[in-house]
Amino acid sequence: MNNIATQRIKREFKEVIKSEELAKCSIKVDLVGDSYTELKGEIAGPPDTPYEGGKFFLEIKVPETYPFNPPKVRFMTKIWHPNISSVTGAICLDILKDQWAAAMTLRTVLLSLQALMAAAEPDDPQDAVVAKQYKEYPEIFAKTASYWTNVYAGGPNKNTDFDSKIQRLKDMGIESDQARGALSTFNWDLERATEQLFS
Amino acid sequence: MATTSSESDSSRKNTDNKENESKDEQNNMFECNICLDNAKDAVVSVCGHLFCWPCLHQWLETRSSRQVCPVCKAVISKDKVIPIYGRGNTKQEDPRNKVPPRPAGQRTEPDANTGFPGFNFGDGGFHLSFGIGAFPFGFLTSFNFSDRPHGVPVGGQLQQDDHYLSKLFLWIAVIFIVWLLLA
Repeated sequence: MNNIATQRIKREFKEVIKSEELAKCSIKVDLVGDSYTELKGEIAGPPDTPYEGGKFFLEIKVPETYPFNPPKVRFMTKIWHPNISSVTGAICLDILKDQWAAAMTLRTVLLSLQALMAAAEPDDPQDAVVAKQYKEYPEIFAKTASYWTNVYAGGPNKNTDFDSKIQRLKDMGIESDQARGALSTFNWDLERATEQLFS
Repeated sequence: MATTSSESDSSRKNTDNKENESKDEQNNMFECNICLDNAKDAVVSVCGHLFCWPCLHQWLETRSSRQVCPVCKAVISKDKVIPIYGRGNTKQEDPRNKVPPRPAGQRTEPDANTGFPGFNFGDGGFHLSFGIGAFPFGFLTSFNFSDRPHGVPVGGQLQQDDHYLSKLFLWIAVIFIVWLLLA
């Protein structure tokens, strides 16, 4: 790998370790393997959001041309958010695309993602289904996002109503992730979710 | 006596430590915003951000269509960057001359050499005139950059000269072709 990329990632790694945010357990970076080309990020769900109390893991891939081009970042933890794909974890954030600047670091990227979780941009969505729900049924969105945080990111808010609906679908032989996705998509309308799954 | 000397020793150590710390802080202040190392061939943008010239140059190349400061996203360009010369530096050379920007692609507008496509000398003749016709332009390319004065911003004068030279060469080429036709 390009020398400047490795040098920089090493320095940034130290910066994250020294940062206040790490002390507050709000962001964290770990190495994956020996090379500095792939890293694992971790962000805490921001307070006063449906993601509060959850831990979200990120896959960070550092390109050869770093820092002249942005790192490739994806959510490994499943998340219900208008700007993050509920299926692949792909992120729609301008600074990870054309608004990238070479002075940005792993720390600022992670903090930006945390800010994105707190303030979604439904008009520039990555996941159209989630964005529609966010705009049209904000309460259902908040409940769904909180539920996903509980199931996938270790958040505190259980939801027995949602659990029982998923169980009904599981009894019909549907996998739980698939059932959760379909129910979330149809605003927890069991009939429509079933219809879609069996059509 | 012994106690006082040890006290002064320890106090000196303290000041040494403080000096080291402040040196570290000073070093941090002069880190390039791109490679995060001490800035080499330092330049500063008009918005006040410090970079190594090689780093900034590569950034400007990567985003040639939208050149903004990597820190504050203010509009910047090669000409809006100020080189920094420290005293210890023996070569007071503009760092911007060290990593010469790739020369821009040179193309001539079609009307400048309307004569060429019309002529038919047969294969050999055409190749000959083309080779010679291209010569002055190739010469211009190398001329452009070796002649640029160190530390002097490129002004309109040089461009005018270039324009004049290209016209001159064009005329020489035209006269040459006419001579070929007559001969």
